[in-house]
Amino acid sequence: MSSDSCSSPYCNAGWGELLSHMSPYGYANFGIAFGLGFSVIGAAWGIWLTGSSLVGAAVKSPRIRSKNLISVIFCEATAIYGVIMAIILANKIKKPDDDSYQLPENWDFPGFYYAGYGMFSAGLSVGLTNIASGVSVGIAGSSCALADAQDSSLFVKILIVEIFASALGIFGIIVGIIESNSCTFPISALEE
Amino acid sequence: MTDALCPSYAVSLGYLGVVAAATLSNFGAAWGTWKSGVSVLNTGIRHPTSVMKNIIPIVMAGVIGIYGLIVAVILAESIPTPSKNGDNAYSIYTAMSHLCAGLCCGASGLAAGGCIGIVGDYGVRA
Repeated sequence: MSSDSCSSPYCNAGWGELLSHMSPYGYANFGIAFGLGFSVIGAAWGIWLTGSSLVGAAVKSPRIRSKNLISVIFCEATAIYGVIMAIILANKIKKPDDDSYQLPENWDFPGFYYAGYGMFSAGLSVGLTNIASGVSVGIAGSSCALADAQDSSLFVKILIVEIFASALGIFGIIVGIIESNSCTFPISALEE
Repeated sequence: MTDALCPSYAVSLGYLGVVAAATLSNFGAAWGTWKSGVSVLNTGIRHPTSVMKNIIPIVMAGVIGIYGLIVAVILAESIPTPSKNGDNAYSIYTAMSHLCAGLCCGASGLAAGGCIGIVGDYGVRA
């Protein structure tokens, strides 16, 4: 493979060079952005799905208005998981102690890259699972509002469906916290 | 840092396996929950006593999400931090196997959750 590979300075040396040439600080901050952004997308999607059904059904049966706001609260909880993860990750990003122009030679590069990739995947885990959870709670909540409008004894049983759907968001934040636990950015060079 | 067998970017592939296990199986669980949930609610209007029986597909779909959580936690715990003197302990071999393990779990969770949803949808209405 090395005999026919491109040796011009404009070619990269494969996936390894591509993955390791973006700064770990960039990976970590993109993880925060994706975690928070995707969680809010999931929560918003769920709220408009359930809110439109709730408002429409309340035209004919106004008694469902205040009870079915619980569905909206379940959707909001997925956005809160995203905020929690973003705060945890943002507090882990640390500047190096000495503000020199380049990192010293004996910098802890493996730990540096480990921290960047770990925070990126923690943010992605939380964000994407919260999209799934938010949409699921939204569709279940929309059907809950319509069923409650027809027969109010169904409401409590239907909440079971929504509790299972919002548990998916909790799975995401559990994985995110476990992943980001061991990720610490180095702040000073290794003593060798 | 540029050790050929344990490069630094191996960690990114390993963690992408963790992400795949957690998120894809949760997408499958969500799909199963909402598809069968809608049909449970629609049949519950005419037959209220059938609701508690027909919650079973939703419980099964939630279990798919738990499988993804278990695999993601196991993979995340087995990615070691670099040692104190800067050596990587995580090889590209292990990283690729973790990536594919996560994709296996996630893609099959996605399929299983969708299947539970569609079958639950029709089964409840039957």
